[in-house]
Amino acid sequence: MRSARRAASAIGLALGALLLAGPAPHANDEKPLPALGAELGAFPEGPMKALADQACLHCHSADMVRQQRLTEKQWTAEVNKMAGWGAAVPEDRRAALVAYLVEHFGPGNDSFRPVEAAPAGK
Amino acid sequence: MARQEPPARSSRGLSRRAFLATTAAGLAGAAIAGTPAPPRPRMLQMNGYPLDAETPLDLLGRSYRTPNDLFYVRHHWNPTMPDPAMWVLRVDGEVERPLALSLADLKALPRASATCVLQCAGNGRAFQRPIVPGVQWRYGAVGNAQWTGVRVKDVLERAGLKSGAKHLHTFGTDAPPEKVPPFHRSLELEKVREDGIIAFEMNGAPLPPLHGAPARLVVPGWAGDHWMKWLARISPQAARQTGFYMDVGYRWPNAPGEPGVAFKPEEMHSVTELFVKSTITEAPSTARVGTSTTLRGVAFSGAPDVAKVELSDDGGATWTPAALGRDHDPYAWRLWSFAYTPKKAGKATLLARATDSRGSVQPKDAVWNQSGYLYNGWQSVDIEVGA
Repeated sequence: MRSARRAASAIGLALGALLLAGPAPHANDEKPLPALGAELGAFPEGPMKALADQACLHCHSADMVRQQRLTEKQWTAEVNKMAGWGAAVPEDRRAALVAYLVEHFGPGNDSFRPVEAAPAGK
Repeated sequence: MARQEPPARSSRGLSRRAFLATTAAGLAGAAIAGTPAPPRPRMLQMNGYPLDAETPLDLLGRSYRTPNDLFYVRHHWNPTMPDPAMWVLRVDGEVERPLALSLADLKALPRASATCVLQCAGNGRAFQRPIVPGVQWRYGAVGNAQWTGVRVKDVLERAGLKSGAKHLHTFGTDAPPEKVPPFHRSLELEKVREDGIIAFEMNGAPLPPLHGAPARLVVPGWAGDHWMKWLARISPQAARQTGFYMDVGYRWPNAPGEPGVAFKPEEMHSVTELFVKSTITEAPSTARVGTSTTLRGVAFSGAPDVAKVELSDDGGATWTPAALGRDHDPYAWRLWSFAYTPKKAGKATLLARATDSRGSVQPKDAVWNQSGYLYNGWQSVDIEVGA
């Protein structure tokens, strides 16, 4: 179950190693950018975070969820699709997960910003 | 994995040179236009894993060929990167002689090269209204590169393609987690035999691992879902491939419908050609009445060339042509620039639209679809005009 995250970390570390060898600073001496994949967003703190982590993070980072702005109907469809694809969310907790997703990542969600990351290497 | 840049901490000059090399075209343009220094080389990471990252708009149109390290990255899941020394491309299905070709075998075949646009089918999804789920790409899930390798046609002829084959099934080495369906695809043999390439170089360098090394499919004019990365197997077949990513994903409505009303699977077909689209990549935020200022951008299509790009400052009532860049190749993008001299003070809203070599005109509004594919509505920029 954890293999996807480990693989992702390995990619991030490999890219990070390249950057440690030579993060090209901009002419203006700006702070070095993180490597692609090195910096990940997290689900909002609260009682539902553990369930969201358990259900979603095996296959993709929280970023994928954090950028969405979906209605309850759309979130229900997404959660059902993902449960069918193996997401670890018990049937009796799907409604609670949907409510959490709608609360934080509903149509009014304007909180997501992409991570500015260093170019990926040639 | 990739060539390392010189150490920056001990020698800032070297890394600055590397930086300058990647943005020389942009600097030259900036010097002429008198605009500020070029923006910082960077990517906009949409998703940490699987990795999804787009090119920032202010870096998108700075060169005809998008540098490899600034080219958008889109992964369905965390890929298994093949070892080029161990990698083989299998050719089976409706062929007389199934093949297993090493990278050296491929490189022994006649070379083919194409400079053309690769755009994610979902580029611009963030602009779809009503909002749809998926990676919320804005402008930068697109780039233009020189792809070099061998013709698909040559590989299939070597294998002895049988006459009954109509579709090319394609498989990569990336495998999904859990019960997620595999990303297996097929496309019409007629198209891929005409101009498909199995590419192992990108802009003259070995294809980077993030972009499908050691080899990927290149399908000029068609959306990125057909450009299978980490290519492992191609298989001509009589019937199209089936599965989630053929029957549910990457589908386009047969006819436009009401925005927000999902199409049924039978009301859609596979996404294939890109749609004509212009993107404004650089525009000033302020200008003065009677003084010329420059807007720049890129334009491309699923047709072989862009015929014109036009801009409007009156909501689309009248249009004035932009100057197209000299560089062009079949299915590549055209850089464009537009000298704009405002006639009155206040907020000016500029729109850009492209027309392709087949006469298709970029529409004001893109066709809504529930997956947000192929967004190509007009882009606008606001410029504050002082007296």
